[in-house]
Amino acid sequence: MSTATAKRHKYRIGKMTFLDYTLLVVLIILSLMILIPFINVIAISFASQKEYADNPMMLFPKHPTLDAYKALFNDGRILTGFWNTLKILVVGLPLSLFLTSTMAYGLSRDKFPGKKIIFFLVLFTMIFNGGIVPLYLVMKSIHLTSTLWSVILVGSFSAFNMILMMNYFQGLPDSLMESARLDGAGEWRILFSIVLPLAAPIMATITLFYGVAFWNGWYDAMIFLRKADMLPLQNVLRTIIVESSTNVSNASSVDALNKTGFSTGMKMASVFVSMVPIMCFFPLLQKHFAKGVLTGAIKT
Amino acid sequence: MKPAALGPDKKLRVRSATPWYKEIWKHRMTYTLLIPGLIWLILFAYLPMGGLSLAFKHYKANEGIWGSPWVGFENFKYVFRDPTFAQAVWRTLYINIIKLIITFPFPILLALLLNELRMRKTKKLFQTVFTFPQFLSWIIVSGIVINVLSYDGLLNSTLQLVGLPTINFLGSEKMFLPMLILTDVWKSTGWGAIIFLAAISGIDQDQYESAQIDGASRMQQIFKITLPNILPTVTVMFILNVGGLMSAGFDQIFNLANAATQNVSQVLDVYIYRITFQSSTDFSFSTAVSLFRSLVNMVLLLAADRVAKLMGGDGLFR
Repeated sequence: MSTATAKRHKYRIGKMTFLDYTLLVVLIILSLMILIPFINVIAISFASQKEYADNPMMLFPKHPTLDAYKALFNDGRILTGFWNTLKILVVGLPLSLFLTSTMAYGLSRDKFPGKKIIFFLVLFTMIFNGGIVPLYLVMKSIHLTSTLWSVILVGSFSAFNMILMMNYFQGLPDSLMESARLDGAGEWRILFSIVLPLAAPIMATITLFYGVAFWNGWYDAMIFLRKADMLPLQNVLRTIIVESSTNVSNASSVDALNKTGFSTGMKMASVFVSMVPIMCFFPLLQKHFAKGVLTGAIKT
Repeated sequence: MKPAALGPDKKLRVRSATPWYKEIWKHRMTYTLLIPGLIWLILFAYLPMGGLSLAFKHYKANEGIWGSPWVGFENFKYVFRDPTFAQAVWRTLYINIIKLIITFPFPILLALLLNELRMRKTKKLFQTVFTFPQFLSWIIVSGIVINVLSYDGLLNSTLQLVGLPTINFLGSEKMFLPMLILTDVWKSTGWGAIIFLAAISGIDQDQYESAQIDGASRMQQIFKITLPNILPTVTVMFILNVGGLMSAGFDQIFNLANAATQNVSQVLDVYIYRITFQSSTDFSFSTAVSLFRSLVNMVLLLAADRVAKLMGGDGLFR
């Protein structure tokens, strides 16, 4: 082990050459290309409408003001969006973890009749689906359209996440569960009092996967929800940004929303406030998503 | 033979001799664990799949999916005769193939650049910056894009300042695809580089050592060691992307299209949305289009999976 790290170091450590500095400069330029649009958006959100008109390229407002934010929150729609997304998360996350972990644990057990068929039923949803039209009609027939439940339920199970979790459960030592079984504990008790406490890392990863999907989701809500006061954050953002910029062709069902009256500053403020939660969780997200991608897609 | 070696064999025979209903009874607890998930699958995956039968029916609102009368392949006749449908299929492939070819090398290049950087901490910082946009929805990103690329936005103002002609990124049919490529590279390159970086870090360091002893330059090391070593990963990633050609890019296209680019943005998924939820709703017709899309998608995915496995990768499903 120590020789390997020593070798690594020998390769890594060396004098900075001209090439290294060029590389550093190139990477700095590239990261500025990522960062500057963000800085510009944030700067505009804190600038007055007049300052923006004079200098749309600004990276820092000369006279920072909270006017755009005040106007945005006075309008209130973005708050409704936050509130609805919060409701979706509070109900959707426990539900999705429940559905995913029960199925993942059940399928990680020893052979039982029908196991292969059920696993195939899950896997098949990854390669084939009915598409949005039949889903909409089914949702309508069980009277869930125009309720947040439609969005919550559709998002609360994913075959990919279930398989990740199942693989993790299969890697847990069998002896613990076996001894609990001998003590007379049922499978449900074993899942909740032995397996889940052992599976904290995968639970964290899967929670973040579902969390980001719920946070960023908008398509289901656009299809199923017809009332403006029900829309989650992303859809509110869409009405503020996309549809207000002369976007008639894609206008969704939310005609009820008044599409005018948003200044550029307010639009950028709404972009920024929707980004903040992702920014707060970003270190966690980065770590767990990288792990998920690498175990889910490719091993070298 | 020793009895120990006979053990598992015997056990197997005994197990298979138990009647199936006893096996099921023995595992009854496990089945109860599967019930919640199965209910979800039936309601939100398999009922809609069954609902695809609507493609062979004439939908009547008061009879619902299951009660409407069968009409055979009639809906498909209309679908395949509809020039807008053919255009949407063609447009989907056109946009996604060109996008794939142009955007695909960027994550590899970025991974190579990051890998060559010798400062560990700085590398982490760069990676954080580059991967961040991936976690934002295309709605948030389109807010940023509209701000930066619009006529009086950051980029055009800069172009004006240095005396270059301004570009109508968002409102012209000609610029639509280049704009998609530009924004996709901006959003996804950093994230895409992660897989290639992982592949690079798995390369045996001895290869570099001996190359250095032989006096190979860093460029030579990249071309003779790094690239050949990550080639399997590159191939598999490319094939997996091919598997998504029919469905890729919907979020991006839907949120960056506008009235001026209505015609060039009509990919298959956008077409399905528009005919179902915006124009007169002939659910049978749009279900027929949906079925076509799902079938083509499945064939592409399975083919990609098969080829990826042949190439020695893990494929889509492990």
